[in-house]
Amino acid sequence: MNTESNTQPVIEARQLDLVFQTNDGPVQALRDVNLTVNKGDFVSFIGPSGCGKTTFLRCVAALETPTGGSLSVNGMTPDEARRNRAYGYVFQAAGLYPWRTIAKNIKLPLEIMGYSRDEQEERVRKVLELVDLKGFGEKFPWQLSGGMQQRASIARALAFDADILLMDEPFGALDEIVRDHLNEQLLALWARTEKTIGFVTHSIPEAVYLSTKIVVMSPRPGRITDVIDSPLPKERPLDIRDTPEFIEVAHRVREGLRAGHLDD
Amino acid sequence: MLLILQGDAELWAIVLLSLRVSLMAVLISAVIGMPLGAALAVSRFPGRRGVIVLVNALMGLPPVVVGLLVYLMLSRSGPLGVLQLLYTPTAMIIAQVVLVTPIVAALTRQVIEMLAEEYSEQLRSLGVSRLASVPTLLWDARLALVTALLAGFGRAIAEVGAVIIVGGNINHVTRVMTTTIALETSRGNLALALALGAILIGIAVAVNALVSAVSLRAEHEGLTHA
Repeated sequence: MNTESNTQPVIEARQLDLVFQTNDGPVQALRDVNLTVNKGDFVSFIGPSGCGKTTFLRCVAALETPTGGSLSVNGMTPDEARRNRAYGYVFQAAGLYPWRTIAKNIKLPLEIMGYSRDEQEERVRKVLELVDLKGFGEKFPWQLSGGMQQRASIARALAFDADILLMDEPFGALDEIVRDHLNEQLLALWARTEKTIGFVTHSIPEAVYLSTKIVVMSPRPGRITDVIDSPLPKERPLDIRDTPEFIEVAHRVREGLRAGHLDD
Repeated sequence: MLLILQGDAELWAIVLLSLRVSLMAVLISAVIGMPLGAALAVSRFPGRRGVIVLVNALMGLPPVVVGLLVYLMLSRSGPLGVLQLLYTPTAMIIAQVVLVTPIVAALTRQVIEMLAEEYSEQLRSLGVSRLASVPTLLWDARLALVTALLAGFGRAIAEVGAVIIVGGNINHVTRVMTTTIALETSRGNLALALALGAILIGIAVAVNALVSAVSLRAEHEGLTHA
């Protein structure tokens, strides 16, 4: 299934450690994390709170600095990669600014990066179409449903052509029906844009449905307990979730999560 | 008594000079104070806290002392004496700029710092320098910044200590509302003093009404997402 031979790694972590110094003493947020993400992978990070899944994503985004080991993004340090606009980041809450319209929210990175006005308009039009929000540019965030807001937030992360899309529990606050729909759309978007996606989630079905690679993590210290290369085909209708293959992968994820807990 | 209001040319000349001096002062203060306040909000350097405390403290500068200092700068023997600005409207504008700029800078700093906090993660994920975000932040905070400017204007138009020292309250040249009120009251010409007082209060009320209208709108835009 896995074509490691001729693809170059987009994200590569070797013996990655991160220790936070807190008032209650040091906290080991990540320990000995080894992971290779190839171009075009859809990688989910799953695990209970405190397992370091978000922390790892933030390290890739250079929002946190590891205290040990090595981490490269597109062959560069995370900070260099950020300056090269390697990734777009979708935060946990949609993080749209209520005083800006949807179009203006998407323009925010473009404005600050100094794109020309015409270029900004063009890109906003393109990404709004990509996330199925054509015609909603002039609306304010509160005029949109939660799912639409989250799509707008994804559009913003896509606006400047980063090859990597990092998503931190983007659909965590949404109900299951909306979530199913967005998952389907996200897969379609991924197929169309061929981006590499890093996706943090709490939900086993979501992780299995979306991913080509599932990274199971466990807390105290945050570490990887299992990496599963999904045997599911790239083309995935929602009812694939009833197939034996799907249930088997979900089972393995659940086992991995349980194994992590038994260590406690 | 207030019949003077009807078409007294001298009175209106005084009102117009007041407005001209204070509006000009606020405009210049905006150009200096806003970028300064914004830069202070997003930059990080040793001693930053101290600068913020200083700017905040300067908001409460006593106008008379500012008048005195500007007077010393502009007087014939002062460092800027050659410009011969003392007892001109320009001198009054300079004094008011000194008074208003800290107000604009301090309020801008507060507003922009809060906004930058909101944008913080997003901006960090974009990997742009903090200063690059200043124009965007200023634009997004525009309503709150208008409030800051109006606060500065309220201070400038109502202030008497600084303009009377550097302007000299010369008839037809540097006589503004506040200085005229002070003078006419001491002369016993209460009619003119009261008329000007009424106009000044009217302006103060109008400015305050504007401030609350603007901040109401800013609040509305901020809250409607809830």
